[in-house]
Amino acid sequence: MNSTNSRIAVAITVNGTAHELQVPARQTLAECVREELGLTGTHLGCEHGVCGACTVLVDGQAARSCLVLTVQADGATIETVESLANDDTLHAVQQAMVDNHGFQCAFCAPGFLMTIKALIDNQAVLTKATLREELSGNLCRCTGYASILAGAEAVLGLTGESNA
Amino acid sequence: MRETIVGPFAGKFVGHAVRRVEDPRLLTGEGRYVDDVQLSGMLHAAFVRSPHAHAHIRNIEVAAARRSPGVVDIITGAEMETLVHPFIGMLALKGLYDPRFYALSSKRVRHVGDPVAIVIAESRAQAEDAIELVEVSYETIEAVANASDALDSRKPPLWDNRSNVLFDFANTYGEVDAAFAGADRVISHQFKEQRVSNQPMETRGIVVEIDPKSSAITVHAATQSAHMLKWVLALLSDRASIPASIKTLAINRDRVTRFAKSAKAILTAKPELKEPSPMMPAMVKQFRAEPSRFVDLQRAMLGLLAKSDNDRPEVLARDIGGAFGTKGSASREDLAVYAAARKLGRSVKWIEDRNEHLMGGGHSRDEIVDISMAVRNDGTLLGMKVSLTLDQGAYPAFPFGGSMFSQIIRVMFPGPYRVPVMQFNGKVVATNKGTLVAYRGPWAVETFVRERMFDMVARELGITAAEVRLRNIVTMAELPTPMITGPMLDVRMSAHRTLVDAIAIADYDNWPAAQLAARANGKILGLGIATFCEAAPGPPDFFEHSIPGSGALAGIEPAKIVLEADGMVAVITQQVPHGQGHETTLAQVAADQLGIPIEAIRVRYGDTKITPFAMMGTGGSRSAAMAGGVVTFAARELKERIVDIAADLMEASREDIVIEAGNVHVAGVPARGITLADIAVEARRRDQNAAPGEAIRVAQEFDGGEGGWTQATHACWVEVDLETGQVAIPRYVVVEDCGEIINPAIVDGQIRGGIAQGIGQVLYEKITYDDAGQFQTGTFMDYLIPTACEIPDIEIHHIETPSEIEANYRGVGEGGMVVAPAALTNAIENALAHLGVRISEPYLPPSKILELAGVIQTARSTAR
Amino acid sequence: MKMRGFEYHRAATLDDALATLSEFGDDAKVLAGGQSLVPMMAMRLSSPAHLVDTGKLTTHDTITETDGMIAIGMRVTHAALEQSALIATAVPLAHAAAPHIGHRAIRNRGTVCGSIAHADPAAELPAVAVSLNAQLVVRSTRGERIVNAADFFHGYLTTALEPDELLTEVRFPKRGAIAGASVHEVSRRNGDFALVGVAVHLEFAKPSTKKGAAVIANAGIGLFGLGGIPIAAVEAQSLLVGNPTSDDLFAAAADAVMRNIDPMPDNHATAQYRRHVAGVLTRRALADATNQALAAS
Ligand SMILES: Cc1cc2nc3c(=O)[nH]c(=O)nc-3n(C[C@H](O)[C@H](O)[C@H](O)COP(=O)(O)OP(=O)(O)OC[C@H]3O[C@@H](n4cnc5c(N)ncnc54)[C@H](O)[C@@H]3O)c2cc1C
Ligand code: FES
Ligand code: FES
Repeated sequence: MNSTNSRIAVAITVNGTAHELQVPARQTLAECVREELGLTGTHLGCEHGVCGACTVLVDGQAARSCLVLTVQADGATIETVESLANDDTLHAVQQAMVDNHGFQCAFCAPGFLMTIKALIDNQAVLTKATLREELSGNLCRCTGYASILAGAEAVLGLTGESNA
Repeated sequence: MRETIVGPFAGKFVGHAVRRVEDPRLLTGEGRYVDDVQLSGMLHAAFVRSPHAHAHIRNIEVAAARRSPGVVDIITGAEMETLVHPFIGMLALKGLYDPRFYALSSKRVRHVGDPVAIVIAESRAQAEDAIELVEVSYETIEAVANASDALDSRKPPLWDNRSNVLFDFANTYGEVDAAFAGADRVISHQFKEQRVSNQPMETRGIVVEIDPKSSAITVHAATQSAHMLKWVLALLSDRASIPASIKTLAINRDRVTRFAKSAKAILTAKPELKEPSPMMPAMVKQFRAEPSRFVDLQRAMLGLLAKSDNDRPEVLARDIGGAFGTKGSASREDLAVYAAARKLGRSVKWIEDRNEHLMGGGHSRDEIVDISMAVRNDGTLLGMKVSLTLDQGAYPAFPFGGSMFSQIIRVMFPGPYRVPVMQFNGKVVATNKGTLVAYRGPWAVETFVRERMFDMVARELGITAAEVRLRNIVTMAELPTPMITGPMLDVRMSAHRTLVDAIAIADYDNWPAAQLAARANGKILGLGIATFCEAAPGPPDFFEHSIPGSGALAGIEPAKIVLEADGMVAVITQQVPHGQGHETTLAQVAADQLGIPIEAIRVRYGDTKITPFAMMGTGGSRSAAMAGGVVTFAARELKERIVDIAADLMEASREDIVIEAGNVHVAGVPARGITLADIAVEARRRDQNAAPGEAIRVAQEFDGGEGGWTQATHACWVEVDLETGQVAIPRYVVVEDCGEIINPAIVDGQIRGGIAQGIGQVLYEKITYDDAGQFQTGTFMDYLIPTACEIPDIEIHHIETPSEIEANYRGVGEGGMVVAPAALTNAIENALAHLGVRISEPYLPPSKILELAGVIQTARSTAR
Repeated sequence: MKMRGFEYHRAATLDDALATLSEFGDDAKVLAGGQSLVPMMAMRLSSPAHLVDTGKLTTHDTITETDGMIAIGMRVTHAALEQSALIATAVPLAHAAAPHIGHRAIRNRGTVCGSIAHADPAAELPAVAVSLNAQLVVRSTRGERIVNAADFFHGYLTTALEPDELLTEVRFPKRGAIAGASVHEVSRRNGDFALVGVAVHLEFAKPSTKKGAAVIANAGIGLFGLGGIPIAAVEAQSLLVGNPTSDDLFAAAADAVMRNIDPMPDNHATAQYRRHVAGVLTRRALADATNQALAAS
């Protein structure tokens, strides 16, 4: 297969650490963080962009890492679920999920956590109903979402109005 | 880092929403799911799969693929047959033909996705590149695309020139004809449930690790039962001939003696196994009809006997991303990957992708049920006739699949109602579809059909859906009473109470007026209710009523509990949690028994090297009752042993010793207490034979005691948009009784998660094959799992029937999923009833709603 | 689910991108946001030998106004479209469509031009382009040409673009003084591609004094989810223009929509369903757009 196995130079910063990598063109960012960098907290649930389990932040914005090629992320700053906690102190979104029993098997958790982190960082203005929309790109098969929504509402300070 | 759990208060943990022990690990990315296992030198597997529903394999050409970069080996079906034994169904039931099949298909493919070769390469991408270069020539055969094809004797047989009806059974309970003759009305209907799929967010996967030095095998797996997987792999791998095995045994006589010893130990512990199994006559018949079956089984058994310890794997299941039943089987792929790793002597990883998982990772439901109810005009049920056809696809799940589900469906059909007589006929058929596996209540069709049928009967008789249920449901005053199918409904079976409460909460009596008022304003609303009970785990003899002879193997839950040398307590369970939070709930149970903080306990699971043996693993809503029970009793025994030592050390009488928050002291003088670490030191001093790191070890088994039922009534409201066919769920109420609740947040999570799957089944999910058996739902854009926008808020009301029974815990894993399709479908029919709509199938996408309502014409769809 | 190998070209400049496209022609594909192309490659439904990544052409990520047209550069994402104040005021239909596209994480990466070039018949923006008769600016080493949206969509995932061409900009006409826009769609789940969708843009002649009798000066109706390409509901549009709004008029427009389409069935919805709901949504969207226009005027 011609030169398709050649490697391409990429410079990315992941969770604050700069990396200079040589990667195959067909490698996805998800494969890069999981296999190349050993950050297995990012999960692959579908590899075709629907489930959201692989969500990471690229330059501060949520992105599905199965739909980003590593080569496209050249020069970008990446945040994965591993960046959230500070030593033994959980990030507010993690703590809110612990407090609200957010997850069960937690395979979907990294995607939800990073999606919500982006909402916090970008100071999204939300209601309980629009929060559901914001989280609708992340599938969870275990919880029926109520506990995840409760955790997200807690950390985003959405209380009061009904959950229509 | 030890996780700290802030309990609501330090004294008692059971009954409180204690934060999960597993969360700090799982929410920081520290979880270890099977795909996270990375080993140096590890190879990757991918499967060549059939694009056809049904075909002969005429030739398979792999030379070009072998030359593809990174390819290490390609094993075709023919070679695989030299490496492994066939899967041999172990259920011996009268009227059942259980086909044998190999990990890979060599001569014939039976569904789209049927694996015909395994490619092993340096990377998964390279393995997939090579797959494209494997040339398989197929000669297609007419497909058996659905149950009606399977019942059509002109269609080609899938298995061994036999009928595609693999299992045919009939059970009669009471004088059915007389009851029907005496009825005011006999009301009949045919129901179907579409094929759906569990689809946990993590697919299946396995990493077979082979230690390059010792060649010891560790199987990292996403499995619901580590021991089951271990023994299936051990039994079916390394195919040797009978003479070869005998020769091995002659050289290694110790293996025979070892076996004899352990067999004797098992028979001493479980004398009931000495009784001839009720399965024996059917099994003998199977062998007589098919002597090669006997030879295959003996060959596998002898091979197992001849294996050295090193030739058997240990299974290690760590974090698992959900399963809902689909990881309760040992799959053909598991065995193929295992065999490939053994052949190559190298570690091999296979992580199923979503397309594979949708195609072949396990489907469920797919039944047709004809039912007749004989009733009096007041709604009293006099009897039922039920005829079930279950489409289990091509390859039966191993060890248990459709045939077993059909038996639980039969036993559970009466539910919590008085059913004076019942006729139950069943057929399990083979079609060119993927394997049917357990999915959250694999018997759920009984609830769907019965609860839908009650609504239809009510409409026919002009009474309300509540009335027909109240007239027939077993009241508390009648308990205990056996179901017509055998199992005893004990005094805690409170389905009646859940129904009465739900009717009150729903303000059911005022519903017709509210509905009419809304309709006058252009709003189409509906309310549906459904009631059920589930064996969670059911009475002790529940399995005997489903599959006579299976109880002895299924019934027992073991656990070990260890005071470790450092004063920590380890609870070691054969359960393999995959979202249920056992690390928290079992710790809660043990902590309360021992009087120690939850932080002092760690729950160990998933590792066959340390966990006690049982085949069941986690499934069947059994964990709370069975594991909660055995941990209660084992912890209590451990406490006795601790108190013995404490009494000696503190020169006090045993009765005066208390343990509070980990402090072991004489009642009233906590300041002079000692710790469990102190006890551990003394215990180790006394027991020189204690294992390294251990001070006191207790092992117990529990048969479930009185067992028991979980019961619930769901009430669901819908609003239907008659212009677009969209259904909204403005309110959903659950009233349920699962006994004493260990952790309410976890219980509620199980219920809500199940209901979400039930809503998914009705409004979004369908595994689709066309009439030629072509698979049409291979992506998450085709198979639709509900998102946060589609699942409503769910109100849960718990009731607990008081009981003297200890460890009065019952399962809640499945009920949500079992009841929701009935409640939601009943609500939709209620909303459309004024249009004369009757709903037979719980798959109601917007097109279907408008067709039912007569807004649009019904299209003859190309897909079923 | 791993894509086939390919040769990767990171375009440093527009000319660079065009040169590579011209060199490899049919064997090359543009990689924009990757939100449609990467999943297709992962499933090996598409396996270009060469990918030309436009990601570094950041000068093309602007939304600007010139000569009564709003020009959207090829690196503008759906998210940028959704958040643009200029779009909200000047191209309300594009603004209304944006939130319907997939989910936030997809909108963060997917591009407006990518969506139009990809030409998924169930996508929102191609229908918006058709509804507004957008101008599509197409470049290659051979030069630049402008294609009207009405001529751009040729069939399922096929457009007027030649293999060596790049869609560099889409230009939407700026709305008139009294205008309303509305996108109505039915999808199976939130964020899914539409089973049926209608994008309506209405312009009104002058402020009406009497409520509800405003006269429609210009109407654009784009339909999506109905078959091979996004559809302009030409007959319905001409029925509307020059007439005062009324329920009957909208019903007639809806009828015209239903009459003129030949929807495709799939596993998610039948053809009958799509036809019926196209009518329903046309009525709803027309009413919405009217209310919006009149409320604002
Ligand atoms: C789960 C999911 C849900 C989605 N839901 C929706 C939805 O509801 N509605 C919707 O509209 N879309 C949806 N999308 C698709 C999304 O909007 C894509 O972003 C868009 O269709 C393509 O834009 P892109 O920039 O990602 O293009 P790419 O994926 O990079 O490219 C798509 C195609 O267009 C070509 N192309 C791209 N840019 C150019 C250019 N400038 N010139 C010439 N050719 C070009 C490429 O070569 C390729 O063939 C969804 C995607 C996913 C994964
Ligand atoms: S793995 Fe990326 S969206 Fe599912
Ligand atoms: S917690 Fe299991 S998928 Fe979300």
